[in-house]
Amino acid sequence: MPEMAVQTENLTRRFGNLIAVDGIDLQVTAGQFFGFLGPNGAGKSTTIKILTGLLAPTSGSIQLLGVDFAANPVEVKRQIGVVPEGMGLFERLTGSEYLKFVGRMYGLDRATTQRRSEELLDFMQLADRPKTMIADYSHGMQKKLALAAAVIHGPRILFLDEPFEGVDALAAGALKSLLARMTERGTTIFLTSHVLEIVERLCSHVAIIHKGRLVAQGSLEELRAGISGEAGSKTTLEQIFLSIVGQGGAERPQLEELSWLM
Amino acid sequence: MADVNKPVSMFEQVRLVAGLRWRMLRNSLRKKNNRLDLIGLILTGALSGIFVVGLCFAFYAGGYAFLSQGHLEWMALLFWGIFLFWQIFPIFVTGFGATFEFRMLLRFPLSLRAFYIIGLAYGFADFSALASICWLLSMTAGAAVAKPGVLPAMLLVVAMFALLNVTLERLIGSWLERLLARRRTRELFLGLFVLSMISLNFVTPLMERYGASVRPAFLRLLRYFAWLPPSLAGHALAAIIQLQPARFLLSSALLLLYLVLFSALLWRRFAAQYRGEDLSETAAPARAAGRPIAGKDDGPDRLNLLSPQVAAILRKEFRYLTRNSFAYLSLLMPPLLVLIFSLNFGGRHPTVGGRGVSAEMFFPGMMAYLILILMAPAYNSFAYEGRGIQTYFTAPLRFRDVFLGKNLMLVSVLSVEIALSVAMLAWRVGLPSAHMLVATCAAVIFTIVGQLTIANWSSITFPRKMEFGQKRGQRQSGMAVLVAFASQILMGGISAVILFTGNWTGNLWLPAEAFALLAAAAVGGYFASLDALTRLAEEKKEVLIETLCR
Repeated sequence: MPEMAVQTENLTRRFGNLIAVDGIDLQVTAGQFFGFLGPNGAGKSTTIKILTGLLAPTSGSIQLLGVDFAANPVEVKRQIGVVPEGMGLFERLTGSEYLKFVGRMYGLDRATTQRRSEELLDFMQLADRPKTMIADYSHGMQKKLALAAAVIHGPRILFLDEPFEGVDALAAGALKSLLARMTERGTTIFLTSHVLEIVERLCSHVAIIHKGRLVAQGSLEELRAGISGEAGSKTTLEQIFLSIVGQGGAERPQLEELSWLM
Repeated sequence: MADVNKPVSMFEQVRLVAGLRWRMLRNSLRKKNNRLDLIGLILTGALSGIFVVGLCFAFYAGGYAFLSQGHLEWMALLFWGIFLFWQIFPIFVTGFGATFEFRMLLRFPLSLRAFYIIGLAYGFADFSALASICWLLSMTAGAAVAKPGVLPAMLLVVAMFALLNVTLERLIGSWLERLLARRRTRELFLGLFVLSMISLNFVTPLMERYGASVRPAFLRLLRYFAWLPPSLAGHALAAIIQLQPARFLLSSALLLLYLVLFSALLWRRFAAQYRGEDLSETAAPARAAGRPIAGKDDGPDRLNLLSPQVAAILRKEFRYLTRNSFAYLSLLMPPLLVLIFSLNFGGRHPTVGGRGVSAEMFFPGMMAYLILILMAPAYNSFAYEGRGIQTYFTAPLRFRDVFLGKNLMLVSVLSVEIALSVAMLAWRVGLPSAHMLVATCAAVIFTIVGQLTIANWSSITFPRKMEFGQKRGQRQSGMAVLVAFASQILMGGISAVILFTGNWTGNLWLPAEAFALLAAAAVGGYFASLDALTRLAEEKKEVLIETLCR
């Protein structure tokens, strides 16, 4: 039986009367490139926050790499890397200082931290601004740095909340190849993105959350099999997504209502 | 084509902007933490109200007395007071921050004229402007009661003076905005501002020593002040009472000339903003400096006695301190304060007059004051973390390490500050007797460590985000300030009572022994509290993250 990287059982999170995450049972096998999709406000970021310890669940359990998160939070956090929503950077440090800080926070020794920081800054093409503070980085540069910080300790699971948002095409290409290589070496990647083409190209497995509930989960092929596309054409992830979440556009406001814009 | 069928009137746009500001204030008070802050806001509002109303009476009395007693030239003094408050107060309160909110209006279809008038209207909504207008009206009322015939001329002069002030205040504000758009420049100016404010404290002792020799030069300089707007306003009024229309016209014309000049300059500034002047926070890209020197940090770790996490946080805190010019420069304050106080109240130094306070009293008093000002930031110690706070919760560490790292940094800074201040005290005032010295040192440990526990709790429970190197809009958490105030009073009270027990009982070493016990208890209590605070941080993490990542 394959090792489970992420396993949740009846994961629920309420904010007052609002149920942001409603009894989710996620199953992500180790080494999978897992895409977590959903419309705005569906509960994607809340789920990632719960899975990474930034938010406590109201009920339910989480096991990461077979370890119960609630019982062993520090042990679990050693094994994961996170690019949270908003990136979580200390903006008054330089990129190099921040990576060294994070490396030491994850318990790496100084020499390893130093070496990896330099390699990561080189790879992310951030090494030419050693004295620039993160506050003065562009959004794309901050994203790259956040990703570098998330991988500096060689995590076994990487949680990425919209990692490609605001990143230019060149950098996105480099990041995608880095992530692909990481999964080849056994790292599990759990990412959310609104760009369905990226998810379709990178991810082998996908889950879709809608109004806090998990409405689909499986490999792309399994999801395609459940949706009838046009004869002779391969169903795209966008079609699958719209079919499951948008109910064929039934929930969208009718464009006719905005006739004054036409 | 857009189906906008009629242009919005300028009045309507001003009204909309006023409504927007009101709604923003109202919405900001909806959050629970902000409601608690409302208590602080109400207190501040009440105090400000007392200040404004009190001075209204003073300006009324001044206007009445100067005119009824024939001290016409003294009216200029009242105008000078209002002028200085109107121009300087906004710099104290709102300066040194990025103020792009007003410029955001540019995306709407505003004419330059509308933009200019809305800009001026913004100026009238400031506290300094509202207070100054109240005082001007009170002064006018006083003058009108004393000499009713002066009212029309007074109203004309006051209207011109008010318009001139608001124009000048907006002009200075817009130039400051341009100057301070870059973060580094802003921080540099903020530093210079803080230093100049501290330096003001030296004016009195320096004047006492060198005042007599400086006075003639100052008086020579004073005559040129007659050509500045407040003096001109005063002269215009004096001229109308003395029935000198030519002098009134000349003074009024010069006042008008100033108004036209300031308006033209402000128009130019606003026109530049209207055209889309680029004021960017981000520094221009630096020239590629190549790969950083490898192995720079490869030497032995000077902090290897600490866990890697605590050492990392300590280093980060040090870097944050050195990059927060406001906090960094405020470290200059304690030794300077010792110097200032010793100049005024110190004991044996030859520069001090006969008002000396003995070292027995001065030393513990000064230490208490230093702790009071240096401990204050610890009550909202996550203020500058921003989104970085998430790292503390995603990294594999217990929150006690975060507290340890932060508290260690604070204690190190306090130690250096107190050592410098003690050296300054020894030079200026002299050290107290051995028993008082030991008792004070033990009391310092007790109050610092005791407060750290409360401050850590306050930092988690009442966090508030603050921006680096900014003064504008930087309000501390109201509840954190109250907690700090209460615990400082408690600690200070306990310490004062114990210090005096030595004299009351005749056992001079009793305070030292009592403080040693209390210090040991405080240290024990501090370490015992860390686990409880770690659990509390876990419970409060959502509020903490939400508040600081906003």
